[in-house]
Amino acid sequence: MSRMKKSLRRLLTLTMAAFSAMTMMTFQAFADEPYHTYNYDAWGDTVPSQSAYRVKETFSGKEIGLAKLSDSSDPLYVSDNASDILSNSKDLFLDDERKEFWIADTGNHRILRLDENLQIIGRYYGVTGDTKIAVDKDTGLSKFNTPQGVYVHTSSITGDLYAYIADAENQRVVKAKVKSPTELELVQEYVKPKSALYESKTFKPSKIVVDNAENVYAVVKSVNTGSVQFSKDGSFTGFYGANRVEATAAVIAQKLWRKIASNEQIEGMTRNVPSEYANFDIDNDGFIYTVTETSTNTDAVKKLNPAGYNIWDNDVGNEYKFGDVTNDNQNLQSNIWFKPKLTDIVVSNNRNINVLDYTTGRIFQYDKLCNLICIFGNKNTANQKGSFVAPNAVESFDNNVYVLDGSKNDITVFTETTFGQILHHAYELYDEGKYAESEKVWREVINRDGGYTTAYVGLGKAALNHNQYKKALKYFKIAYDQDDYDKAFEYAREDFLRENFTLLICITIGVIVLLVVIVKLVKKKLKAKPKKAKEGK
Amino acid sequence: MYEFTTTGWLKHVIFHPVEGFEDLRWKKQGSIKVSMIIVFALFIAMVAQRRLMGFQFNMSYDKIFNVIPIIVQSVVYFFTWVIGNWAICTLFNGEGTLKNICIYSAYALVPYIVCTFIAVFFSNFLVQEEGIWVYFIQYVGLGWSIILMIQAMRAVHQYTFGKTLLSMVMTVVAMLIILFLAILLLSLFQQVYVFVYSVYTEVVYRIRG
Repeated sequence: MSRMKKSLRRLLTLTMAAFSAMTMMTFQAFADEPYHTYNYDAWGDTVPSQSAYRVKETFSGKEIGLAKLSDSSDPLYVSDNASDILSNSKDLFLDDERKEFWIADTGNHRILRLDENLQIIGRYYGVTGDTKIAVDKDTGLSKFNTPQGVYVHTSSITGDLYAYIADAENQRVVKAKVKSPTELELVQEYVKPKSALYESKTFKPSKIVVDNAENVYAVVKSVNTGSVQFSKDGSFTGFYGANRVEATAAVIAQKLWRKIASNEQIEGMTRNVPSEYANFDIDNDGFIYTVTETSTNTDAVKKLNPAGYNIWDNDVGNEYKFGDVTNDNQNLQSNIWFKPKLTDIVVSNNRNINVLDYTTGRIFQYDKLCNLICIFGNKNTANQKGSFVAPNAVESFDNNVYVLDGSKNDITVFTETTFGQILHHAYELYDEGKYAESEKVWREVINRDGGYTTAYVGLGKAALNHNQYKKALKYFKIAYDQDDYDKAFEYAREDFLRENFTLLICITIGVIVLLVVIVKLVKKKLKAKPKKAKEGK
Repeated sequence: MYEFTTTGWLKHVIFHPVEGFEDLRWKKQGSIKVSMIIVFALFIAMVAQRRLMGFQFNMSYDKIFNVIPIIVQSVVYFFTWVIGNWAICTLFNGEGTLKNICIYSAYALVPYIVCTFIAVFFSNFLVQEEGIWVYFIQYVGLGWSIILMIQAMRAVHQYTFGKTLLSMVMTVVAMLIILFLAILLLSLFQQVYVFVYSVYTEVVYRIRG
């Protein structure tokens, strides 16, 4: 009887355990970003952080509506065998004014135009107009061949919409007027400069930027003297914003060897040339931002003023850091060492800067003063939302971030989480210098992520604004912000001196009097001693 | 002439860099006890520099505070210096004994220690703009100690100036060799330990199994 009771009890506990285990499991199956979000502290160490972005949606050819291109009843119809997927797309561009996306669909030799919701509203396989390059005999269309970059610009003079296409294999940059969802009319062709300054044998433009004066800047493959600059009328005006040679040990060693080597030997040596940049972007004020893939330190990310001078130059005492800044770039999950490869940069209309790292698939978001806001995104071969295989381009509008993947052939839309919203709000106030207003928001940030360093700087500055120096000192110490601590300390010291001036004076006078008395006493004793010694003799 | 107490001798040596150590040697003065206290003070000064330096001047990585490297940098380095110098002086015909080298070297360190403490103290009241004073005091202490060290080595071994410098450079080389051998020995012993331990576990398993 008792045995049966025992087994019954055992059975009961077992079923209960199984039930509780199952319920536990269902609780654990929640949706999460496929990446570990982290941030950097003042030491350059990684600190786990809340995720500021989550994947909203992904858009592949199907979701974009590329099937329309092979649907003969649709106005966008091209042909029955038009590809309904993206293929190795290299560039994504956002037209801020019209809120339209443009994709350079490189593998399919076409340019796609999407609306705000990433639905197709236009497709271009070539340009019409007076040209001799790659003209199709049947249609008279000058067809694109592996277009790698696209830029769209509304002329401030005529108000017309112009598309600039880096038509790489045709060795030209096309400037075309957008006439209809299917037609581009050639305005200007920018081809290989005849100038002696242009030394490269080929002209394969990959990325384009156009400034307000309609000067065209093209990143050209294997040209390392900067971007090639054309004026509006198509003439070559020079190179713009070249990188410098990174002073690695190998470069320095070679410089020494060159001093002692013979001319023949020097001819045999490889030349130390700066690396060409991978991509660039232009903001509304006309500053051009560049990223360089191969470089990790010198000129990896630059902000160029119209004269081509780098504003973010660390060699003149600044401390700007972009991408993964630690020396130990190690993926903790796979335990693989990697070298960052910053492939794209974009400045959003709210002036946040997004930098895309091709190696890790991470997007680094900075505010306009280059404070790191957040890091998100991942790279793996698993077909997960929010992770990439070949992240080629990044775009940003307001606080949404769009990433184009050239291998998964889709666009991933990231949208901010609640934490991200709070962060952006905090930075917005902070960057405007509204420290007092930002205090509440920074507190909210800390409530959600106590390891967020900049929040403490923000709180410290707010406290400083309220003349609460002690509090400010405390916060700056947590954030390890020595410079701001120093400032706060100076005020605090001044304050202390002012308040305790009389007391301090009294103490000093007291100490001086005491010293004088002691010295006199000691002298008296010393005088007394030798006398004794003399007497002893 | 020159009848001082132990601390009186210390003061005399520090403030008379030219003749101080010669007097010390002549009078056969100097206390090993005081020199040990000085070495300990060096260790304390180094800890203070990392922990008590004003925040705006503190460059140390304060997430982790480990006292072992500081012990190595102060106490261990000091004794390797003494032993290295003693080893070199037998080759270079120096006249110093191990005890004397220890005492004289320790006495020479006093300005560095004192100036470090002063710098640490002032760093808590100054801002970065006035930081030059903190660094100035530190450098003065360091320079003073170096001069005293040269004089100490010269006096203890009765060398010429050039030979003193040479012997000091050689001492640094000897220190490196000593430390290298020490590390080698340590890792070898560790391997022996691992070997013995694995034999032990093996035996234990056999007995149990």
